[in-house]
Amino acid sequence: MYRYVRRGNSQPAWLFPFVVAVVLLLSVLPLARLALAGIEALLRGGAYELITDPSLWRSAWYTIETAALGTIVSVLLGCLFAFLLTLTDLPGRGLLGFLFVLPMMIPPQVTALAWVQMSGPSSPLLKALHIAPPLGSPQPLYSIGGIALLYGVQHAPLVYLALRAGLMALPRDGVEAARLSGASGLRVFRDIILPLSLPGVIAGAAIAFVSSIGNFGIPAILGIPASIYTLSTLIFTKFSSFGPRTFGDIAVLSTMIAVIAVAGLAVQGRALKGRDYRVIGISGAAAAFSLGRWRYLALPALHAILFVMLVAPFLALVAGALVPAYGVPLTVKTASLNAFTEILFRQSITRTAFSNSLFLACTTALGLLLVTVLAAYALTRRRDMLSRIVGGMIEIPYSLPGIIIAVCFILVFAAPLPILNVTLYGTIWIILLAYFSAYFAVSLKPVMSAFLQLDPALEEAARLSGAGFFRRLTDIIVPLIAPAAGASVILVFLIACNELTVSALLWSAGTQTLGVVIYNLDDGGSADLASAMSVIVIAMVVIMMVLLEIMAKRLPKGVVPWRS
Amino acid sequence: MKTFVSAFAGLLAVALFSGSANAADLVLYTSQPNADAQATVDGFMAANPGIKVDWVRDGTPQIIAKLQAEMQAGAPVADVLLIADMVTLERLKEAGKLLAYKSPEAANYDPSLYDAGGCYYSTKVITTGIVYNTAAAMKPASWQDLVKPEAKGLVAMPSPLASGAALIHAQTLAGVSSLGWDYYKNLADNGAIASGGNGAVLKAVASGEKAYGMIVDYMPIREKAKGAPLEFVFPKEGVSAVTEPVGILAGTQHADAAKKFVDYVLSEKGQEGFLKLGYIPARNGTPLPEGFPARDSIKVLPLNAADALKNTDQALKTFSTYFKSK
Repeated sequence: MYRYVRRGNSQPAWLFPFVVAVVLLLSVLPLARLALAGIEALLRGGAYELITDPSLWRSAWYTIETAALGTIVSVLLGCLFAFLLTLTDLPGRGLLGFLFVLPMMIPPQVTALAWVQMSGPSSPLLKALHIAPPLGSPQPLYSIGGIALLYGVQHAPLVYLALRAGLMALPRDGVEAARLSGASGLRVFRDIILPLSLPGVIAGAAIAFVSSIGNFGIPAILGIPASIYTLSTLIFTKFSSFGPRTFGDIAVLSTMIAVIAVAGLAVQGRALKGRDYRVIGISGAAAAFSLGRWRYLALPALHAILFVMLVAPFLALVAGALVPAYGVPLTVKTASLNAFTEILFRQSITRTAFSNSLFLACTTALGLLLVTVLAAYALTRRRDMLSRIVGGMIEIPYSLPGIIIAVCFILVFAAPLPILNVTLYGTIWIILLAYFSAYFAVSLKPVMSAFLQLDPALEEAARLSGAGFFRRLTDIIVPLIAPAAGASVILVFLIACNELTVSALLWSAGTQTLGVVIYNLDDGGSADLASAMSVIVIAMVVIMMVLLEIMAKRLPKGVVPWRS
Repeated sequence: MKTFVSAFAGLLAVALFSGSANAADLVLYTSQPNADAQATVDGFMAANPGIKVDWVRDGTPQIIAKLQAEMQAGAPVADVLLIADMVTLERLKEAGKLLAYKSPEAANYDPSLYDAGGCYYSTKVITTGIVYNTAAAMKPASWQDLVKPEAKGLVAMPSPLASGAALIHAQTLAGVSSLGWDYYKNLADNGAIASGGNGAVLKAVASGEKAYGMIVDYMPIREKAKGAPLEFVFPKEGVSAVTEPVGILAGTQHADAAKKFVDYVLSEKGQEGFLKLGYIPARNGTPLPEGFPARDSIKVLPLNAADALKNTDQALKTFSTYFKSK
């Protein structure tokens, strides 16, 4: 078996079937099971009551409304930063860019908690500054607008990154030619740069929209107190009032979210279709514009936005962790580290959550890497129709909201496994499998791009000298793709470590993750403990991101998502 | 790169090790707030070294939902329940899901506080009254004060969909002739909001987002002691009460440890632990925690448990029609 190689292709015969089997297990089976459960529920007629429930349609509408408004905010913010940081000579662009993408990596429920602490009559920060709104003022963020605003902040980096990638590829000679012909900066921007950057904006907007549709942390913390339910929080509440019809109901709801998400992506495809944006010329449009005196306006503006987006919420979170009780203003006298000591030294749940999240994130990152190296090898070598389909199947779970993946895995593994008679439901392994499914694409992307940059001659030479597949893999390929593999591991680790949505439905005793614990602490009225835990998690995120930033110089382009 | 990989491998090893230390001897599902749950479990583990307890905290309805989902999947995780109310446990008992265990500690309890068959035992008395922010204009003294125009849009209450105590509370007030379900309708018309559990109410009132709230006693009394701008009132009509009973699940693999847990929470030591946390212990002859009025000055409204059990679904429905999701 091992000795057998395809003619002119050199991969072992088992390789591709292995990749296909993994994709069947992680993508096809769960999604097919969801579709089946949805159809079953519809056929049984139990879904009639669900579908005619006006609150369901209200949720569907809120989901679309908040996501659409949030996308507008993301696009405005993302475009502002992308244009200013990519095309102008603004000083300190690297740091500004790094800070701007930070919210993307911070768990959404932590963002929501921080913003809640920052505003409204409850804010320990505003109280400390004596500018808190009066008693009885509603928390302004517990509203459609509040949810949309935070979607905007959370997903603006996605627009920024998509647009920035496009801007980096702009032809510099076009701009120069226009300039030489006497066109003003504004004219160049309007007639050349804006039309050519449109695909990036549309792509970014679509990703932001789809991410908002599937977001759980933000509407859970901002929407539930105001009885505003999006589809993902509706699934969550259905699941927390479990009844005989629950499995069927959540299958139908999940299908609805999937339809909205796919529709969002289809609109993007439609918008980009029929336009040809291919550009020839020397790319790399860095610093095409000199801001001149405008920089004195732009620089403070960007800093102010970053202050409101990042610094103020973080300070509010710290203040929320330091107050001894809710509603007490923070002063030097009242400040206490009690919440931190409770979290770090008294609560066993903290240790459980950290070890679970670290275990899940490490195992997902490293386990997926093993699979993705093989998958990337097979997919880059084959390049036929079938491998394109397999590649597409890997992408689907990642583009779907996490709550759907969780529902899929509940449906597949709720019953004991046949033959083995073991139940995965309620164990950490079901969360692990769901993570594998959800982050396969994240892990694959950097490795794939490294494979595509690989010179096949090296491997050919080794093959001609008689080196077997594993020999070539360990001696030639792995060392060459190691930096990309490292980046893939850190990226998956970061995302999985801060995950909430998937584990919110799948956790059980002893398998709580960091995201679940933060949500549960806040839900139980221990806002100070939730804040303290969030501060620790943010510190962890920043450290991981700085690590990636340091590695970035040795990585292939496009591997660290916020660098280009 | 190599050091990086080995560092990561080290991290994985640590995570694997700590992750595999998952085999608890006892799993407790409880609706107590995190800090209280941890304190209870710590007290038990100190009294019974060698038994490792894992616990899950959530609202009573969510805990029951989790349990049901796990039972349907054929893999129940919990061994012991310590949740808000007897009605919920009575329901589980009738479904044959609870293990009968005659605890020797029961002799020290009023017979109305535990199941004669030994399926569950009350551990404490938690009343639901009114909380207000000290900056509020009105000092409420009666349930009726919450439907006055002064309180319009300023009342927060826990939802029976998320809190066991809130369900019992609603059923209790609905049974009072001067209040009834109309009272809840008037609350809804007066702009009261009902979402989440008691923790959410605490947050809303302490923060000043709302001025008044319905809430379980220990939360505001305890927070007030820490400096929060809160005051708790036992309204003149009386308060509702739940007793946070403990019960063992029938399918448990750890019956011995579970029995020890029941004995512990009912024992003098266990009850003292609850007292220290600010709860009224259920055991005969125990004092009240600081910040409470004398025991005989607290008027607890009656509730017919059998009727409450029968009418739970109807009560939830009635409540939901008044407090619709937006």
